[in-house]
Amino acid sequence: MPADLAEIERMIEAALPGAAVEVIDETGSGDHLRATVSAAQFEGLSRLDQHRLVKAAVKQRFDDGTIHALSLKTGLPG
Amino acid sequence: MADTELKQKIEELIAANPVLLFMKGTPEMPRCGFSMRVVQVLDSLDVEYGAIDVLPALQPLREVTAEISDWQTFPQLYVNGELLGGADIIEEMFDSGELAEALGVEQPEAAPAAAAPPAQSPPLQIE
Repeated sequence: MPADLAEIERMIEAALPGAAVEVIDETGSGDHLRATVSAAQFEGLSRLDQHRLVKAAVKQRFDDGTIHALSLKTGLPG
Repeated sequence: MADTELKQKIEELIAANPVLLFMKGTPEMPRCGFSMRVVQVLDSLDVEYGAIDVLPALQPLREVTAEISDWQTFPQLYVNGELLGGADIIEEMFDSGELAEALGVEQPEAAPAAAAPPAQSPPLQIE
């Protein structure tokens, strides 16, 4: 089952309300995704912690095998 | 719960190697596109590093690194005992010069050309 990109976006937005989230299927295989996330909640956090927040938001889809890899680019809005 | 003996061994390795890469495959033969990207970055910085192939014990090592540094995907690059990041963060830090600084080496000229752009190098395997 390929990942539902809109669902992944919603999961990230739910964890980080107000965030700008874009998820794309990087390889066309449906399980290697790339997400770009800008969120005010990232203020003061290291990149590692920013990535941890996003990965935690979609952990369920990693655990059930829907997603194999999620490349991330995170940053503050604007 | 991670295997305590393995966890202790990994903690010792992290402490003993100033630059240590946990990767899928070996630097000579990476078995995953993400791991390959970090190897390319380290090679272009001409830095000495230790490398551990996680594939023979993938799940136990996931559990161990989850406990040590709250990070479960590979590659993982440790510098001076601290997790610096996975492939995305390492590439970002390389492009910005932060990685060279963290490693105490010179940023190579025309640095970004050394690492293949992700679009041309899709992951070969799961992260």
